[in-house]
Amino acid sequence: MASLSEEVLLVVKKVRQRKQDGTLYLMAERVAWGPEGKDRFTVSHLYADIRCQKISPDGKAKIQLQLVLHTGESTTFHFANESSALKDRDATKELLQQLLPKFKKKANKELEEKNRMLQEDPVLFQLYKDLVVSQVISAEEFWANRLGGINNTDPAVVNNKQEVGISGAFLADIRPQTDGCNGLRYNLTADIIESIFRTYPAVKQKYSENVPHNLTEKEFWTRFFQSHYFHRDRINTGTQDIFSECAKQDEKGLKSLVIQGVKNPLVDLLSLEDKTLDEGYGICTTLPSTSNANKTVKESSNSAIIKRFNHHSAMVLAAGSRKGEAPTDQASETSSTDGNSRDSDFFQPPVKKVKLQEAIEYEDLQRENRPKTVALNLKKSDRYAHGPVPLQSQHYTTSQDIINSVNYIRHEMMNYKPNLTEVRFYTAFLMITKSHNYQKETINRSEILHCIAVFLSCVVLVER
Amino acid sequence: FKVPDEISLLVIVVDVNPIWWGQQAQREQEFTLSKCLDAVMVMGNSHMAMSRTNKLAVIASHCQDSHFLYPSKSWKAGDDGADDASSSGDGKYELLSVANNLIAEEIRNVMSKTEVRGNSTDTLLAGTLAKALCLGQEIKSRILVIKAAEDCALQYMNFMNVIFAAQKQNILIDACVLDSNSGLLQQACDITGGLYLKIPQQVALAQYLLWVFLPDSEQRSQLVLPPPAHVDYRAACFCHRNLIEIGYVCSVCLSIFCNFSPICTTCETAFKIQLPQMVKPKKKKLKQTT
Repeated sequence: MASLSEEVLLVVKKVRQRKQDGTLYLMAERVAWGPEGKDRFTVSHLYADIRCQKISPDGKAKIQLQLVLHTGESTTFHFANESSALKDRDATKELLQQLLPKFKKKANKELEEKNRMLQEDPVLFQLYKDLVVSQVISAEEFWANRLGGINNTDPAVVNNKQEVGISGAFLADIRPQTDGCNGLRYNLTADIIESIFRTYPAVKQKYSENVPHNLTEKEFWTRFFQSHYFHRDRINTGTQDIFSECAKQDEKGLKSLVIQGVKNPLVDLLSLEDKTLDEGYGICTTLPSTSNANKTVKESSNSAIIKRFNHHSAMVLAAGSRKGEAPTDQASETSSTDGNSRDSDFFQPPVKKVKLQEAIEYEDLQRENRPKTVALNLKKSDRYAHGPVPLQSQHYTTSQDIINSVNYIRHEMMNYKPNLTEVRFYTAFLMITKSHNYQKETINRSEILHCIAVFLSCVVLVER
Repeated sequence: FKVPDEISLLVIVVDVNPIWWGQQAQREQEFTLSKCLDAVMVMGNSHMAMSRTNKLAVIASHCQDSHFLYPSKSWKAGDDGADDASSSGDGKYELLSVANNLIAEEIRNVMSKTEVRGNSTDTLLAGTLAKALCLGQEIKSRILVIKAAEDCALQYMNFMNVIFAAQKQNILIDACVLDSNSGLLQQACDITGGLYLKIPQQVALAQYLLWVFLPDSEQRSQLVLPPPAHVDYRAACFCHRNLIEIGYVCSVCLSIFCNFSPICTTCETAFKIQLPQMVKPKKKKLKQTT
């Protein structure tokens, strides 16, 4: 048969399509049918393209399965195996029933994603309306530029909503009910169990180690609630408790956290302490001893509570910083902020520098990062100033010509006296206008037209 | 009809390019700068005679500068005017004779100070028009340009700016062309709504001025005047300065070319488009309106 790059889930022989005998193949992403004896498939449909499947009613003689595509086309398969037609058809139908929703969801998911994008960004929506609805470009082209690798990104990034954490007080909500005879009954749901695992990773570790090999679940949880680990005191009394190790682990984690120190120089309180050089140069204080032997009971219980709170806070911070960070950053900053994991190996200076820089630089004062534009570089810009005067025969005057002309005109105008009576019909004009006392009244329109008519008649008379 | 007290200003811009006029005087004795100025004075007198509230200004446009012939800075009201008026002898309105004398005096001054300079032989028309525009700011005004020499391509930008400014201020620009047709003035008249006329006979300048250009814009609608000239609005390509109807425009710098080239020579943008073969447009004969 033809080489199949996809996994084949079901093969059904003796399936007819369009009156031809053949074999039906259900693969990981598509359903295909090839005629008997041939190597290739004549019919192949992706599950994503299939809208729904239909089967012929049970009473009918012909046992058929129809696939309706999104485009409206349909393909009908007739199961013709005498003995197992019905079984085949049902098996096919069930498999399809399982597979189709997966792919349908994928298609729907894309559609949903697109809808979400359009709704969230009104500018995009307007652009979509202007371009696709008015058919300037097709919808595929529009989404081709927008979606990019939408199918490849993991849902956590796409889904920008924040995850809800566990309430710090959840343990308080597990109220035990008295059992009647001096016992307590705890109701543990899956949610609560998960919360416990997330809050106390040490417990999760213990659980995975012991259940179900050594202890049953019930026993494990009974022990857990009985253990001192659970109770507030958490004093290591040395009992053989699987959970006593948890306490030790927590402490180890906390110690490593303390050793790490604080990277952000702005919140590092230790750096604010007075530093002593030697006797006489600064105040020498004796550090409080941390050995357990000198502690009173009260002190140790106080420190136990404080340790517990510190541990909890460290875990909360770790969860927050772990979430949105790029993989490259994780190695340097978050590798051991939860105090329970492997030892840390990171660079101090860059982080400190980054924090300092953040504090002293203001974004508003920086140079704006505008998208890089190409500068307009005009050569020969005087071309624009040249008018639509064609560069043709300009007559070139020689400098001698120029001198001559200028001299001539200068000579002419030297003794210029206006000689208006020479101007034709100027006398006629005078005659007509003299008859009006135009210092006192204005000449109206009809008279002007009359004048002009007279001028022209004079002209005609004089010219001819 | 016309509001009696409305001031109407006529600015006459006379092209007194000495080189052109000097050559003209040698070509044709009948029509010289003196005769032209006589006609201008007739026109000016007529305009002022039309109404008491009409005002006149005359500017001479020279190669070196533009000069106000009337009203001039040296005019002192009273003394000189009175003397000249009495000496005019033909009893015309004082103001007119004063104006004429002033114009004559000024033009004598201007032409006597003409120097020979080889590099600037073109009339500074754009500058003169700008001065004319400044005059007619708050009153109804129009400009009449009497053009002698050819267009100067270097003044194109300024010229167009002046034209659009005039359009904004509702100032008409009329053009009376003596010798060669001027595309720039044709555009000016078309845009501002004025009249463009190339005079068939130079000696009859005064007649044409009085017939065509004396009536103002409201009265022109009542008269039958020469039809508007067909304006050639074609652009010139940047490479050869040919006037083209269809061409290639760079989308970056908007420079116009007659032939396609893969790199724009002004802004050096490279174009990678596959262009269809352009069919050379058939040469159309422009309809000449007579």
